[in-house]
Amino acid sequence: MSRIPGGEPAVRLEGIAKRLGWTWALRELDLEIERGSSVVLVGPNGAGKTTLLRLLATLLKPSAGAGEVMGIPLQRGADDIRGRVGLLSARGYLYGDLTAVENLQFAAWMGGTRTDGRSVRSALSRVGLDHVADRRAREFSSGMQKRLAFAALLTRPLELVLLDEPYASLDTDGIRMVDEFVGEWKRDGRTVLLATHRRGQAVSGADRVAVLQSGRLRRFCLPSELEPGDLDPEEPEPGRPESHAEAARG
Amino acid sequence: MNGSLALRTWAILWKDMLVELRTKQSFSAMVFFAALVLFLFGFAIGPDPATLSRLGGGLLWIAIAFTGMLSLGRTFQSEEVAGGLDGLRMYPGEIRAIYLGKLLANFVLLILLEIVLVPVAAVLLQLEPWGRFPLFVGITLLGTFGFSVIGTFYASLTQHLRARELMLPLLLFPALVPVFLGAVNATTLALAGDPLDRIGGWVRLLISFDVIFFVVCVWIYPLVLEE
Repeated sequence: MSRIPGGEPAVRLEGIAKRLGWTWALRELDLEIERGSSVVLVGPNGAGKTTLLRLLATLLKPSAGAGEVMGIPLQRGADDIRGRVGLLSARGYLYGDLTAVENLQFAAWMGGTRTDGRSVRSALSRVGLDHVADRRAREFSSGMQKRLAFAALLTRPLELVLLDEPYASLDTDGIRMVDEFVGEWKRDGRTVLLATHRRGQAVSGADRVAVLQSGRLRRFCLPSELEPGDLDPEEPEPGRPESHAEAARG
Repeated sequence: MNGSLALRTWAILWKDMLVELRTKQSFSAMVFFAALVLFLFGFAIGPDPATLSRLGGGLLWIAIAFTGMLSLGRTFQSEEVAGGLDGLRMYPGEIRAIYLGKLLANFVLLILLEIVLVPVAAVLLQLEPWGRFPLFVGITLLGTFGFSVIGTFYASLTQHLRARELMLPLLLFPALVPVFLGAVNATTLALAGDPLDRIGGWVRLLISFDVIFFVVCVWIYPLVLEE
């Protein structure tokens, strides 16, 4: 896939706010993300990262403000946006009684792709699950389920990839796999927005880092401009590559 | 129906039927419950053939309605287990595909139930559906379709309610009155051989309500599901 043309940013949000029940999950959020870039969204639990990703995937409507995703207004173009945006949710959205192949087949059909078994198995192979292709998803470990959810993204042609805590439950190989995919998507000209609450993971290799706190955008900057208080003090997992920078550069 | 809507509708029907085939939980419970309802009614009414013939159509639809509630209650359960309806909503294309796929899955499951249930009812309630069998089958299909159309809609409407097991029948049964009115009367006449040729009016009523409810439910479904 070649670099996606077009001058408008992948994401443009102006004064976005979102209320969930009595709580304001997002407040007065202004954000602009360039096409083909990778942005890491950091912040503690409850900062509004998942809400922001769900809003960009048009699963939530903003309570106030305006926004565009791939040049399409959030308020009116949900269907068009969903055709270009893929979300890896922490919930997985997998069916335990279906096999890995069947889960991917279903995801491809729902994405409007008339895919054959070979492309589905190829996606499984890329996430290292080809040896368990015909096993039911309920028999998978949480890490394998995360890989399967990742494979579901690979069955669709996407322009903006939203990843919510993609490293959770993954082993070292799995973490490296995520970094490689992010790098590959960037090389293909796709935009990646990745939410994590952990320090170090993907942050230093990203083009920009957005720091959320209590629903507000506290900082939007280069990774090198981050201040000590911006990140969760948790240490990175031992043995984990520092970032996806190497993959992106490779 | 455009290709994308058809593909997504098929995907949901395929997925739901496959899950049901794998678990068999819903269908086994439905068959057992329906047979129990018919047995209890047959036992309570007694062996008088005239009474059983007069009430048979109604009893059959009571069994289908009660049993259908079990199926409807589970319509969106697999989505909840998988992480919620967002898993279906995040895909592009007509959101009505979710409704149509779930509707067809419920319809197919109920038809499979009725294939088992009708012979059981014929034995327990001494019914004679074989005389005007094509008409009986047609009425059953129309009634089941109407039940599935309204039932799937209300199951979707109540899925996020805390007391959904209570709210679903409370909301659903009043809305089903026109469909059951047509289905029960038409079935009773079909079983009795329809000597006065009055069945046409009930069948037309059934068709009319099926069409009206289908169009209305499909039309307003996106409002139900979108945030």
